[in-house]
Amino acid sequence: MVMDTTKTQEQWLKEMEEKSRAKQKNFIGNITSRLKRPMVAEAPKHPYRGSPDFWNAFEWNEQERIDKFTENFISVGGHVERFRTMDEVRGFIADKAKELSAKYVIRQNQRELEALNLEQDLPEARVSVWNSDEDENWKARSAEADIGVVLVDHAAAYTSSMVVLSSKDKGRSVSLLPTVLMAIIPVERIRTRLGEVLGRFDEAGRESLPAGIHFISGPSRSSDIENDLTIGVHGPGVVYAIIVG
Amino acid sequence: MSHATAPKGGATVKERAELALNNEFLRKAVKFTTERLKNGKLKAMEEHGNWEEWRERGRQIRLHTIAHLDYYLNQFVENARANGVHVHFADDAKDAVAISLAIAERKSAKSVVKSKSMVSEELHLNHALESIGVEAIETDLGEYIIQLAGEAPSHIIIPAIHKNRYQIAELLSEDAGEKLEADTKVLAGYVRRRLRAKFLEADIGMTGCNFAIAETGSMVLFENEGNARMVTTLPKTQITLMGMERIIPSWSDLEVMATLLPRSATGQKLTMYMSGITGPRRTEDADGPDEMHIIIVDNGRSLQLGDPEFQELLNCIRCGACLNACPVYRHIGGHAYGGTYSGPIGAVLTPSLQKNVAEWDDIANASSLCGACYEACPVKIPLHDMLVYLRRRKVEAGHGNKAEGAGMKGFAALMSRSGRFNTVVKLGQIGQKFVARDGGIRLKVGPLKGWNTYRVLPALPKKSFREQWGTLEAEIRAGLNTMSPDIKQRMEQAVQNRAKGGGHGHGHH
Amino acid sequence: MKASLFITCISDAMYPRVGEAMVRLLARYGVALEFPKVQTCCGQPAFNSGYWNEARASAKTIIESFEDSDFVIAPSGSCTGMIHHYPKLFENDPVMLEKAKALQGKSYEFTQFLVNVLGITDLGATFPHKVTYHPSCHGTRLLGVKDEPLALMNNVRGLELVPLPHAEDCCGFGGTFAVKMSDISGAMVNEKSDHVKETEAEVLVGLDMACLMNIGGNLRYRNEPVRVMHLAELLYEGVKGA
Repeated sequence: MVMDTTKTQEQWLKEMEEKSRAKQKNFIGNITSRLKRPMVAEAPKHPYRGSPDFWNAFEWNEQERIDKFTENFISVGGHVERFRTMDEVRGFIADKAKELSAKYVIRQNQRELEALNLEQDLPEARVSVWNSDEDENWKARSAEADIGVVLVDHAAAYTSSMVVLSSKDKGRSVSLLPTVLMAIIPVERIRTRLGEVLGRFDEAGRESLPAGIHFISGPSRSSDIENDLTIGVHGPGVVYAIIVG
Repeated sequence: MSHATAPKGGATVKERAELALNNEFLRKAVKFTTERLKNGKLKAMEEHGNWEEWRERGRQIRLHTIAHLDYYLNQFVENARANGVHVHFADDAKDAVAISLAIAERKSAKSVVKSKSMVSEELHLNHALESIGVEAIETDLGEYIIQLAGEAPSHIIIPAIHKNRYQIAELLSEDAGEKLEADTKVLAGYVRRRLRAKFLEADIGMTGCNFAIAETGSMVLFENEGNARMVTTLPKTQITLMGMERIIPSWSDLEVMATLLPRSATGQKLTMYMSGITGPRRTEDADGPDEMHIIIVDNGRSLQLGDPEFQELLNCIRCGACLNACPVYRHIGGHAYGGTYSGPIGAVLTPSLQKNVAEWDDIANASSLCGACYEACPVKIPLHDMLVYLRRRKVEAGHGNKAEGAGMKGFAALMSRSGRFNTVVKLGQIGQKFVARDGGIRLKVGPLKGWNTYRVLPALPKKSFREQWGTLEAEIRAGLNTMSPDIKQRMEQAVQNRAKGGGHGHGHH
Repeated sequence: MKASLFITCISDAMYPRVGEAMVRLLARYGVALEFPKVQTCCGQPAFNSGYWNEARASAKTIIESFEDSDFVIAPSGSCTGMIHHYPKLFENDPVMLEKAKALQGKSYEFTQFLVNVLGITDLGATFPHKVTYHPSCHGTRLLGVKDEPLALMNNVRGLELVPLPHAEDCCGFGGTFAVKMSDISGAMVNEKSDHVKETEAEVLVGLDMACLMNIGGNLRYRNEPVRVMHLAELLYEGVKGA
């Protein structure tokens, strides 16, 4: 295949889009004709949308949510800490970092995480703040980091899932590349069911969704070698869910 | 669409199965893995509860989506484009490969890091990329291993179950240029280090797609290792290959899939990572791809639409539960099936995606029709029925086995008249005198060979049931007890219920 | 009311004692089974292999046999299950389709009839032996026969029921599968027999003679002295003395 180097990427993409739109008619049309009825103009009625009613009525109280989240998270090899204040969280992270001889730490660029004052508590380590400088290579910073610190956006106890949303100040890499992940969960953000979190995305609508919505339910793992479980394959192998409040 | 070369080890399922049956390690490994996964699923089902209700829900959501696939796929495409995704359509493997290569060439890509994608296996995409000088690197641990070995995956979820740790250590040691211990931690640690560099350097990240959410144009990936996240976060360009049927309407529907899929696949409540990606990175984001492409692949899937016997096949969420439940798969492993997809789903998908009946091999015959696959399927696909439909279509198209066809004509002639049936049984009773000993026939000749290699065929009794009926009936009539009123009432009730439309305890449709 | 016996081709030719046991057991409750001679075979071997014209030729004898019956009872979950395929098999023949649906509604596997229709779980049988039970695939998965045989065996005095490991695994018969894919089938039946041996049971009992012929034939080939019986035979033997 000979590439036409006279075209810019933008031009090429535009051409591809035109081709694609033309193809779309046939592609969709093929489906319609095989289904032997005209395509509906409006959204078809979807009586079985989402989970069964009995499930949507299911809910744990706050303590149950905390207990179940903890139980589930630990059962998959994660660690859980419970603190009342961010001050205690600050102390925990600093102690852990020293214990692990962490040289590089990276955190999301958020007020709450700034208040942890890691730079002050860990003078020996280099503490980076995601996307705080235009010229920095943030993916590389995350890759070299021993510890990544994030503030979780949502959580679900039934599956011990923590949810992080990407943004200018919150890199996907921060919860993915470092060896250890410290994920801080404000207790009021822990719900019972996944659906309670997922439903919010339906309500929010397409335009308000970030590029990356990541449900993290434990440390990275694989059983691909002789069914033998190993923790920490590509993502962080050591994950601390720090419940605060 | 058809394979350019015959699958390794033989042209027929029977031949490949024989290889598998003679490979002691493979059988042990497959058995161990499928049992572990199957038991995991059973435990998870029980713990969660109300599994039948969830299955039915999953089925209804998939049926509904497929029944309105034109609407939902169209909605997905429009929304994905609005998010900034470049959407492409591929009618077949050739198209999909051409588009992928074009994107790679435009980017002067040197390397592509790939997360698990059964569709990319279907397209033999790695091969095509290599042919234009682009390094395609599998990043899922099991896939990385078999890529080094130059083999196809043998299980949808755990691709390298046919390899033991010594074989894996050998492969990885060669890759590393140093001797690595046959220890899981050591081997996984090596792959983690090795692939880190690849993730960070790669020009393109390529993924499959577990589900695509129509209402927001988002794609969802389920994984445990973190490589799919790597592949969609680090490289500047992302290409996602999506089977056209992978759509669900909303995020709420995703909860049902997230409930069924991980439990069915491995017995987990949820995979360690579930990622919803809505378009390329926002201008202000500092990671995520600049450019994102989704290639929507048909490759035979649309052939199932409008076909009442096969449309449900598109419900499949690729969980692999049918593989773990299948007694045949357990004995012969994935490679014996000879295609991208193995196990019961593979036995149906591989022929169904191909229009040309003449090219269907005997794969649909590698089943005893026990129904375990249907029982295991979280979206209730009647695979056991579909296997019979495939067999029938092959016969109807004139591609049935000639000898078998003749035998079946004989069967029909024999069974259409009870008198003929009676005669043949009588002949058998007489004829077997030459070969029956102690009430058993051990002859391993002709049609008896397959059976008597493993069993002793019982000799026919002197009289068949119908030959004895006259005597039996007379005896019964003479000594018949009176029916109790209770029993009479129950039988009458059963007949009445029938008239009202009541069934009587059938597990099936 | 007319209760009819659907003997199945395999029991007819090879295991008439099973039919006899059923007839005699039901006679004790005043249910006189009739045997319409027109029946030959349910057609499953042809149906499963995709030869539906041939299957229809055989199935017609079954539909014809039982047109006036109120209850059609078979010693097989597989053959009873095949009747459930008749509406599909005759979907293009409106007359036969109606008859097929009617037949489906009144067909029963033996233990289904005994337990669910007649309401009998205790026949007053005695059978002081160690027994293990193989739950045939079609009966269990497609007809939903799970509790009925267990309820019956629970009430047999002296019967020690030992659970069969991996009971739900297919025995490998699958009709023509056993001949067409003989090595895979052989591997499956060997495994099934291994599990039977593990139980150290004297008797292997089941609801389908096809499976029992398969497993029994393999046990015999391996010189294992396990007695193989249909549940009807076991129950009849258990009440004969009484």
